[in-house]
Amino acid sequence: MTKQSAPTPGGSEQALNKTPGRTLGFSIMVVMIVFVAWWLQYQASLDQSDQNSNTRLTENLDGFRADVFFLPDAPMLGFVEIPAGTFTMGSNPALDRMAYQNERWSNLERQGEVSLPAFYIAQFETTAAQFNAFVRDTGVGTAATAGSPGGAYPITNVTWPEALAYGRWLQTQLLDSEQTPQALRTILENGGRVILPSEAEWEKAARSTDGRVFPWGARPQTAFANFNSEATLPVGSRSCVDCAYGLSDMAGNVWELTRSPLQDYPYDPAEETTLADGDPLYVMRGGSYSDSANNVRTAVRGAVDPGVRSDTIGFRLVITPQ
Amino acid sequence: MTSSTQADKPNSNTASGGGLALGKLPVALGLTAALLLLSFVPRVQENATLAASFYGTVAVLLIWQAYQLFLVNRIGSSYGFHVLLRPQHYVQAMVQSSVYLYWGFFWRPVYEHAWLILAQIIFAYAFDMLLSWARRRDYTLGFGPVPIILSVNLFLWFRDDWFYMQFLMIALGFLGKEYVRWNREGRNVHIFNPSAFALGLFSLVLILTNTTHLTWGQEIASTLTLAPNIYTFLFLAGLVVMYFFSITLVAGMAAITLLGFSALYSASTGVPYFLDSEIPAAVFLGLHLLITDPSTSPRTPLGKVFFGVLYGLGVFGLYTLLGALGTPTFYDKLLCVPLLNLSVIAIDKTVRSIDSEAITNVWRNSWFGGRGNVAHMAIWILFFGAMSLFGKMDGQHTGDSLPFWEQACADGLPNACERLVQLERTYCNDNAAWACNELGAHYREAQIVAADEDLALAFFARACELKFQAGCVNLLEQDSIARAEPRELDLRLLLREGGQNLMEAPLPELYERACNHNWSFACQRSGNQT
Repeated sequence: MTKQSAPTPGGSEQALNKTPGRTLGFSIMVVMIVFVAWWLQYQASLDQSDQNSNTRLTENLDGFRADVFFLPDAPMLGFVEIPAGTFTMGSNPALDRMAYQNERWSNLERQGEVSLPAFYIAQFETTAAQFNAFVRDTGVGTAATAGSPGGAYPITNVTWPEALAYGRWLQTQLLDSEQTPQALRTILENGGRVILPSEAEWEKAARSTDGRVFPWGARPQTAFANFNSEATLPVGSRSCVDCAYGLSDMAGNVWELTRSPLQDYPYDPAEETTLADGDPLYVMRGGSYSDSANNVRTAVRGAVDPGVRSDTIGFRLVITPQ
Repeated sequence: MTSSTQADKPNSNTASGGGLALGKLPVALGLTAALLLLSFVPRVQENATLAASFYGTVAVLLIWQAYQLFLVNRIGSSYGFHVLLRPQHYVQAMVQSSVYLYWGFFWRPVYEHAWLILAQIIFAYAFDMLLSWARRRDYTLGFGPVPIILSVNLFLWFRDDWFYMQFLMIALGFLGKEYVRWNREGRNVHIFNPSAFALGLFSLVLILTNTTHLTWGQEIASTLTLAPNIYTFLFLAGLVVMYFFSITLVAGMAAITLLGFSALYSASTGVPYFLDSEIPAAVFLGLHLLITDPSTSPRTPLGKVFFGVLYGLGVFGLYTLLGALGTPTFYDKLLCVPLLNLSVIAIDKTVRSIDSEAITNVWRNSWFGGRGNVAHMAIWILFFGAMSLFGKMDGQHTGDSLPFWEQACADGLPNACERLVQLERTYCNDNAAWACNELGAHYREAQIVAADEDLALAFFARACELKFQAGCVNLLEQDSIARAEPRELDLRLLLREGGQNLMEAPLPELYERACNHNWSFACQRSGNQT
């Protein structure tokens, strides 16, 4: 019900007293629709750019080259050659009392001989800065970088497919980049593939041809590796001049994914691409900061679901010949 | 059927005047306070943007009320409201509520959304009230806003980070009802069904700006079938509305048209028109609850028939058009309603111009003892019963079967390969690793889709993360394609037929079902299991 008093004369009063017309209402609706369309479009574009810039890039990182995807400032961008040849794989409990059963080669043999062609392995575990460059470029793997301390710390919380995707991306970048050393470029142009190591490649790189229990020798040394500790350290923090091939953190810091599915020894590279019954598990090597000495031995075989993320699991890459 | 006409002379049960200087502004203030209170419930507080949407809405309402108060004091007039309870509002609201209750029992986000629906209803009352007063008119207080809000939310709601758009959508619906009007048969009435107007316009904007993902539209459209026998439920609920408001001709003809054209398409091409049903459940819901507003549909019986047929044709055509444009097809049921609303005068005129006794008399109520609607309902019941008997409503549908689409694609049947890929995408999103691996294989082998190695690797990666070893092998070996049969877990997702995942189904039953879907490996295992 309406209660009205007589309108007061005057321009503004008349305007106030007038019922708002349809034109005004219609105009408000049109403005509203245009605004909504513009705002949705604008926000959507912002979301996209946010997603792309969600990762931090460290501009200056000592020992790493910002102009080459934060790879080490070394002649082959940190890839170290492992010569072709045979090495001893698996554990001999007589020499290594901490050996697990799954490190035994067969019912008849404790260890086996495996021959590999030459390959190149990264001196360090893949760092957060390196992986960030990939995430920034592709949008893949954002979950890994979300809680990462960044910089030269090893990247963790990476799934197995993401680690492979990083390798593929790096291969493309290295082929395209003018900063790539010629020797490295030649390897790639001749079919070299940037990928996770097989567990045989990893083990050979870790223990060399002299069958070491730890990358530096027969006894655990906390000075050479980050294990039995509370957190990861920047890659290469523990100097290990005695380690095979001069590689860092092959023991401890983070478990390192390999491209090999977990299979009973004897090791057979063909099983990497053979479909097996049951859910796949992929071998990881080297133990992590939170493990004790027995789990950071060169022959230890851990395994993980390919979709798992963990702050104790990272990876390093190899370049394999075709 | 969601609104009353402003030009209707209110037949109020209670008339309440604005005897005080403030009029009834405190009522609007109370609603605003209620909205503010709602913003403190945990469901709202868990998302900062959602809470801010509430605060912003409250602020706008308060500013508007302050302006109204200024006007009251300045020009000395205030407005009140009439209380008018229309059955078409509260019956409609009750039917819609029953759909929410049933659907939400099987898809819990609906229940979690309840607080937000309540907030929208409160906002709708406050907004509609202030709009009436701004137009120097008493507000007709009833259940009018409730079915509008419930109707909107049955088809589209924005995600929490974008919820302020939901309030804008509601506001647009009421503005459209107030300002977009015409004279129809001597009465000044709104042109568009308020909920369909808001849904239609926002759908268009979302499509044009490619921001569909900001809403729950896709999930809403695809989760109705999680409720068992949803078609039967909607049919029964629809009967209530049909009985009270004589909308049988509209809804029934829309359904019959869709089923008819769908059957024609299927007979001529060998594949179903809609992916996994004869009529998508959300469309079936829409034709009962979205297009049946008597104020915005034709008055004549034959006009209602045309209206229903046109809706059916509109949905049928839009489904293909939207699919061809690469936009989500669930908008098919929303986009054509405003256009149909615009055509009602033309439809009525056309019908009245038909100078044929035979045609016009077909719909004469006297033939049915003045109970034409009941007769129409009887025909509709028979029709639905027959369709159910032939398995065209609830139950397994040809399009639910992936082997069917694989074979149809291999045979080169129309759209079969596109549908196969679409279906596999749906199941891959459901975490069926087999489907992800198949998608990756399609993009690598480039036989039914264009080659896209990046996309292939993304799908293989997804399959691998879901522990499907063939997907992992495909990541390592880029020159070949590894495939494997679906695992038990995959089958529990792939065989759901639009319903709930079959996580609890016993293994023999699972393989038997897979065998019925023509998975040949499952027929062998089904034999072994039994």
